Amino acid sequence: MKTLKLIMPIGLIIFSVVFLFASLNLPKANLGNPYGPIYFPLGLSILMLIFSVIFFIQEFKKINEPNNDIRLMLSGRTPKLILFTIAAGLVYAFLFEPLGFLYSTMIFLGALLFFINGSKKWLVNIIVTVSFSFISWYAFSQLLGVSLP
Amino acid sequence: MDISSFLDGLSIAVQPINILWIIVGGFLGTIVGMLPGLGPATAVAVLIPVTFGMNPVSAIILMAAIYYGAMYGGSRSSILLNTPGDGSAIAATFDGYPMAKKGQAGEALAISAVASFIGGLIAVVGFIFLAEPLANFALKFGPAEYFLLMLLTLSAIVALSIGKMVKGFLAMMVGLALSTVGIDTQTGVYRFTMDIPHLSEGIDFLIVIIGVYAIGEVLYNFLNIDKQKKEKKKVGKVWFTKEQWKRSKWPILRSGPLGFIIGVLPGAGGSIASMISYTSEKQISKRTEEFGEGAVEGLAAPESSNNAASVGAMIPLLTMGIPGSGTTAVMLGALIMLGLRPGPLLFEQQPETAWALINSMFIGNLALVIINIALVGLLVKILDTPAKVLYPIIVLLAFIGTYTLSYSVIDFFLLLIFGLFGLMMKVMDIPIAPLVLALIVGTDMEQNFRMAVLSSNGSLGVFFSSGVSIGLVILTVLSLCYPLIVKLAKRKKNMSEDEDQVYKSS
Repeated sequence: MKTLKLIMPIGLIIFSVVFLFASLNLPKANLGNPYGPIYFPLGLSILMLIFSVIFFIQEFKKINEPNNDIRLMLSGRTPKLILFTIAAGLVYAFLFEPLGFLYSTMIFLGALLFFINGSKKWLVNIIVTVSFSFISWYAFSQLLGVSLP
Repeated sequence: MDISSFLDGLSIAVQPINILWIIVGGFLGTIVGMLPGLGPATAVAVLIPVTFGMNPVSAIILMAAIYYGAMYGGSRSSILLNTPGDGSAIAATFDGYPMAKKGQAGEALAISAVASFIGGLIAVVGFIFLAEPLANFALKFGPAEYFLLMLLTLSAIVALSIGKMVKGFLAMMVGLALSTVGIDTQTGVYRFTMDIPHLSEGIDFLIVIIGVYAIGEVLYNFLNIDKQKKEKKKVGKVWFTKEQWKRSKWPILRSGPLGFIIGVLPGAGGSIASMISYTSEKQISKRTEEFGEGAVEGLAAPESSNNAASVGAMIPLLTMGIPGSGTTAVMLGALIMLGLRPGPLLFEQQPETAWALINSMFIGNLALVIINIALVGLLVKILDTPAKVLYPIIVLLAFIGTYTLSYSVIDFFLLLIFGLFGLMMKVMDIPIAPLVLALIVGTDMEQNFRMAVLSSNGSLGVFFSSGVSIGLVILTVLSLCYPLIVKLAKRKKNMSEDEDQVYKSS
């Protein structure tokens, strides 16, 4: 748990370094100042590196102070809920076009409701899933003119 | 003020379709704002897709209605459940919740709605007088001034996240970094697109916004999902007594203008406005000891103030195209999407849009006070709807909204990435507003900087060449010293707990 606190600062340090090298490798412009597109990202990546190192040091110094949010994030069914929502989102992305909006949305919303709201409340879950899928389909594709698959 | 454009605007605002949007937006905004943990920025972000396909005037009217609807809604959950939707509703818990506990829930809801209404009205009047002169002033701005103004806004919003400035700066820099992805408009160079064609137009900031505000907030709310309290509140008659009105009248009238001015300032929004109003009313009150125990003026003052601030925050957005807060940054993103570019030229080229919005604020505040008093029974019932049902719906809306941006499921992956990123930011207590603000102004900021330097043949002296630019530089430096000043003041006199609380939340 303690090391989890350092994930964000380390991630940001890595991001800054990658960003720094990517900025150095940017193609030169044929128009105007050849280094025009490079200055801003380059300066930014250097500043970002400095600040993320400071962030790392700050977090490292208080590594023994408990972070209540991290504790909550890892306790009870919270980690499962977070992972399930992300996984369901990924599945939704793959089903969205092949199955079409209505069916994929019912699966997605139904899955989220059964997992988050619990299967004991199955009746509410089914009613909300079916009615909300239809309402959103009608509202977006018919009223707002969004073309849905 | 130009009477004929005012009347033109009024005639657009009272078109039945726009009145309908005001009511729909106000109502939807109230509902999302009422959800514990979700505030106006989330409300606007989730409901953005509703505005697609609308004409820009109706869209901005709708979004503004969602915005202040969410402000009204935020105080409902503060008063009834003691769980503020966002920073600007925190002050409403100090005396609103104790009032509800004493059995005065109805009175508290009524006074908060009326105070919000009056605060909103005062701010709209201020808006009318301040917006046009400010737009005319901004017309004289060149690239250097624009760059500095954006820099000031960013540094102000970072500086106001007291105690976490390093994190604030990092959030800002990530936002700026994301804004550099895509084709550089001055030279045509592809930057950081990783050869993915989808990225050549840049990362759509609306995906980031919906990701961090909608998905990120819902994931964050999973942390406490099984601990949310069930409280049945008897609301009773929703109106206040003469005595309560007498006590609240002046605090409301004092807090409105104060909140408005704070709202106009870059970086400071409803949270700061409501907190300052609360503490100043507490200081001048003869009943200081009642504050925190359910003093009606302790609820009325911040409510008037935060609503006034939300109107004030629209001024820099409309007149200069520069958002001063997270929520207005989200609105700017949506407006750009719709092809409406707010800025000083808006009042010259499309006065009817600007004035229609201003008039719609009058109507919207009126509609909201009616919704919040007449429909209070319905709203309390909605508040009883388990969050476990509403969170999946918000997640779904976020996905649909993302899809409507460019009809591509690739964006779903980006949405999930930014959702997780938003969750981690919340968990690590990194402020989100600087990220969103930087992402939206980032491209313009870089381009203005380069244009300014180009126009002066590479000299940085251009940033010190006019009175306005020197003033902006001084303000930026001062804003960055502000946390230091607060620290010194704190050491001298121990700061009250109320103020501490807002800094933690903002």
